[in-house]
Amino acid sequence: MISNLLKRLLSSGQRQAFFIGAGAFFTGVLLLAMVSIVMLIAARGGGYFWPKEVQRVEYISPQGQARVVFGQIESEYQQEDTRVYWLYYSDAASPFAHQSLIEESWMQSARPAKNAARIALKDGRVMLAEPVSVMLPDDAPVSILRLDAVRDKVATIEQRIAELRENVLSDIHLQLTELDSRQVSDAAPARARLNQAFDKWHAQVLALESQRDSYRMQVRLADGYETTLPLNTLYSIDYTSRLSFAEKLTVAVKRVGRFLSESPKQANTAGGVFPALFGTVLMVFLMTIIVAPFGVMAAVYLNEYAADTTLTSVIRICVSNMAGVPSIVYGVFGLGFFIYGVGGSLDALFFRDTLPAPTMGTPGVFWAALTMAILTLPVVIVATEEGLRNVPQDLKAGSYALGATKAETVWHTILPMASPGIMTGVILAIARAAGEVAPLMLVGAVKFAPNLPIDGEFPYLHLERQFMHLGVLIYDGAFHSQTDAKSASMMFAACLLLLVVVFILNILAVLLRSRLRRRYEKR
Amino acid sequence: MLTLFDHEYLDLDNLSDDLTAIRVENLSLQFGTKHVLENISMRVPKNRVTAFIGQSGCGKSTLISAFNRMNDLNPHCRYQGQIFIGQRDITHKKQNVSELRTQVGMVFQRPNPFPMSIYDNVCYGLKLQGIKVRRQLDDAVESALKDAALWKEVKDRLFDSAAILSGGQQQRLVIARALALKPDILLLDEPTSALDPLTTLYIEELIAELKSRCTIIIVTHNMQQAARVSDYTAFLHQGRLIEYSDSDTLFTTPQQKQTEDYITGRYG
Repeated sequence: MISNLLKRLLSSGQRQAFFIGAGAFFTGVLLLAMVSIVMLIAARGGGYFWPKEVQRVEYISPQGQARVVFGQIESEYQQEDTRVYWLYYSDAASPFAHQSLIEESWMQSARPAKNAARIALKDGRVMLAEPVSVMLPDDAPVSILRLDAVRDKVATIEQRIAELRENVLSDIHLQLTELDSRQVSDAAPARARLNQAFDKWHAQVLALESQRDSYRMQVRLADGYETTLPLNTLYSIDYTSRLSFAEKLTVAVKRVGRFLSESPKQANTAGGVFPALFGTVLMVFLMTIIVAPFGVMAAVYLNEYAADTTLTSVIRICVSNMAGVPSIVYGVFGLGFFIYGVGGSLDALFFRDTLPAPTMGTPGVFWAALTMAILTLPVVIVATEEGLRNVPQDLKAGSYALGATKAETVWHTILPMASPGIMTGVILAIARAAGEVAPLMLVGAVKFAPNLPIDGEFPYLHLERQFMHLGVLIYDGAFHSQTDAKSASMMFAACLLLLVVVFILNILAVLLRSRLRRRYEKR
Repeated sequence: MLTLFDHEYLDLDNLSDDLTAIRVENLSLQFGTKHVLENISMRVPKNRVTAFIGQSGCGKSTLISAFNRMNDLNPHCRYQGQIFIGQRDITHKKQNVSELRTQVGMVFQRPNPFPMSIYDNVCYGLKLQGIKVRRQLDDAVESALKDAALWKEVKDRLFDSAAILSGGQQQRLVIARALALKPDILLLDEPTSALDPLTTLYIEELIAELKSRCTIIIVTHNMQQAARVSDYTAFLHQGRLIEYSDSDTLFTTPQQKQTEDYITGRYG
């Protein structure tokens, strides 16, 4: 009907112009949508790393009290006709920075505070304050300019404590355990000697620790409140208002580095995302290892071995339909089949003595990878079949004519020729698996995992462990962010990272594919 | 009879077994319900070039594909009758098809080198035979490429991709690949139809040289080519063997009306 209408209204040239125009318009809209998504995430996520100036803010609270604080303006937005700021600040009531909404009309003044710094502690807490002096153990304050020298001294003490704990104390402890296991009596002289040594060294450690803790930094908040922070809890001190652009950039780059390499702190609202990044990449990697051979074998069977019957067509249709099943269904399937079914049976067979505590029948990175492999299997099968169909018939004939059996032809000729198609499937599978969240939460991804799935302990790769995942971290953080602007920007940063990870994985696969194409499709 | 050649023609009807490369007995072949070959009996002489000519769809390609059982790739293929190579009936169920194909090599219409190096292309069949010794492979590659008159052109770039070769070189590479297995019989299915005239000439010269090494059967649409390269020629029409004799006789004094019509261009 529409085409008839168009025919009546427009000449053929006009119709052509209309369709080209419409096509260009929709392509443009699509491109714009994509670019704006990426821009938003890049701007908000990138902004997370950019050091914000510490300001001295004076404002009058709704209760009518005049207050002066050191704060950073995290974000601002328009609410009806007033401008509202998320202010991240320290005050006497709670010296560690927290945030609050400040309306523009309350604000008296806000100017950069050159002497104030953003003081980050190792546990993820932050204080916005002015460092005043350094306190030595004898309570003698010295100039703040000597801070670095004193911190070095504290680091030496810290190192000594670690040495004593790791080498001496744990060694004595081991020997005591050995005595226990040999059931040496409590009164044995060896035991007494060890206990004595333990007490001696332990006392020394305690002394060192109290010495370490007595090195402190005195800081002053904007309202004059003073407090001290033990030097060994300090993580970083940034005078963000003093920094030039280049210095800010350096700080930002350093923060990116920490974001990528450190563990989350403060319930995923601060710190880095390394375990989540690692978990995501490991899960995708395992999934690829599982899905590629299975998908390829299935496709080879369907395309090369199975007779062309109704049954084969039905199987093909089923495979295509599997790609459209909602991912949460796969999550439930993974939980029910792999974890409770397969894992539970393995427990009943091999780990009977630890039941009812499950060993295998519990969510973990392997089950997650397996579930994602099932989820992405149809994609790989369809793409591989496409690749197999494109292998020229005369090459297969050439291989058979040289005495190759079917299996040899598949292995030496058909699979290499189809490898670009296989890679296409793997690329699509990676893109899908890296972004999936819902099924993962059922089969092994958690908000916080105490250990990485890979460590120095035998067997090094702990496939039964739960893992952290960037998508799950974002999902989790999105709930905090309703009240916390700071962690919201961390979630944007995590989104940005997830995009970058998917992008890098895809680029790697695309590069590999173009290599294979150059090799096998140049004819 | 006066001949232009320096050797006597063999009597194809009463060829002795030791001079026979392939003996076909009452071979009929169908693809599904379509009868492609009907009751063909013939003897192909050893170390000679035999050409199969006929219209498109007359069954000549199917017939040579029967000699190394390439028709088996089509699941609807059925046949009756026997084909003997030596004392063996190769149509027998227990015949090892892979082994047969190493003894009966085949070259197709379009050059089909594998997307590998020249060296690996020639080695393909040998490696499938389980030959892994580098030295042995090197020697085999060299001699196969020499046999196929390609050695001089490619000896410096054996490990380059076969895709960079010209069409004629690729076709010679494919011949070398088949020769590397030292086949008793070489089947050429319109080997020059995708090549230019000069390259065709090279391949024809090559065929003439190769016949001392193995029996050659060539399917061709080009009657001049059949006359030039073959010692014997078989004319097929609608799945039947119409006439089979030495090429001289067939092209100068055909016995059958259909043969005469075909070679004088009345149809085909």
